[in-house]
Amino acid sequence: MKDACQRYAEDPEANAGHLRECTNCREIYGQLDASIDSQPVRVDALPLAPWEGAGYRSWPLVIGGALALLAITLGLCALAGISLPAAIRAGAQLNWRALLDMAGGAVRPLGPIGFAVLFVVVNTLLVVLLRRAPRGIDA
Amino acid sequence: MRKGVVLALSLAATVVTALIAAPPFGGSITFSQAASMMTRTAVSVSLLFVWIITAIVVTLMSGREIRYSSIELRTSPLHCFALGLVAVTSFVLTAILFSDLIPFLVGIPLLVALSVFAVLTKVFGTIAVFHAFGTIVAGTRSREQMSRRRWLRGDLAMVVIGVLLLGAIRLIPVVGPIVWGIASVFGVGTALATKFGRREPWFLVWRPADV
Repeated sequence: MKDACQRYAEDPEANAGHLRECTNCREIYGQLDASIDSQPVRVDALPLAPWEGAGYRSWPLVIGGALALLAITLGLCALAGISLPAAIRAGAQLNWRALLDMAGGAVRPLGPIGFAVLFVVVNTLLVVLLRRAPRGIDA
Repeated sequence: MRKGVVLALSLAATVVTALIAAPPFGGSITFSQAASMMTRTAVSVSLLFVWIITAIVVTLMSGREIRYSSIELRTSPLHCFALGLVAVTSFVLTAILFSDLIPFLVGIPLLVALSVFAVLTKVFGTIAVFHAFGTIVAGTRSREQMSRRRWLRGDLAMVVIGVLLLGAIRLIPVVGPIVWGIASVFGVGTALATKFGRREPWFLVWRPADV
């Protein structure tokens, strides 16, 4: 940038004659003064956002799906000769004590120090992974 | 393309089911074996019914949180899976530690708190997995497609589609429980990664107060 160009940039009104002499400045300031050609945003051209239409509640599908599953469940329960609550109870039963004993038996060979080291390592790794901010909608 | 993939997957699942569940050639199953198989299927489908009711209720109560978790799962699946694996291991190790504290009385409330947290994480995360699976299979890709659809849109529909599809896969012997288990790991991971869909940090950064 020449000195004259610098002086015009600093005080355009006092150095108005510079624009007639300098082609570069005339082009640059001509572009800056030109009106911006704005175009309307075409919404259909934009990608579909995850929240668009997400609040829609499709009751026929939901009720139909649940009722169909209920009908299949009742039919299978009738064929198996058990009631629906009994089937749910049987499926939800979990022997926590036995599972804990099994897991405890699996880590017993490590000994107390090995278990403590494993505990600290796994939980440190968990904390490190939890510190990462979710990407999700920003990705 | 997607319809072709879904059709191929359905056919493959049917073949695997037929191969695994069918009695061996030349042999026959006894009446008690058939009854036991029927009871197992009835129990599995009953649990699936409980899942669909739970999923509908949770999605109606906190649809946005489920959607955010589902988006996170689809955006960073590897992170969610790694976090899920580490979290499940941490739950097990912590439960072993707490079970050793049972003689000191403090172990029981700690174990109860841990199990409640683990169950809540698994339920929330699995519903997010249902949403993600439903969106991958049946989600809309454009506004035009969305406006053409009358039923198959919205969070609730995606969750229901996901429950029905993953539930059908769950019924396949051998393969089903493995897929369900992997889905649970993904679910635990995405529930913890997004702090149950709230997208808040788990740990605050310490900074001295400006005087």
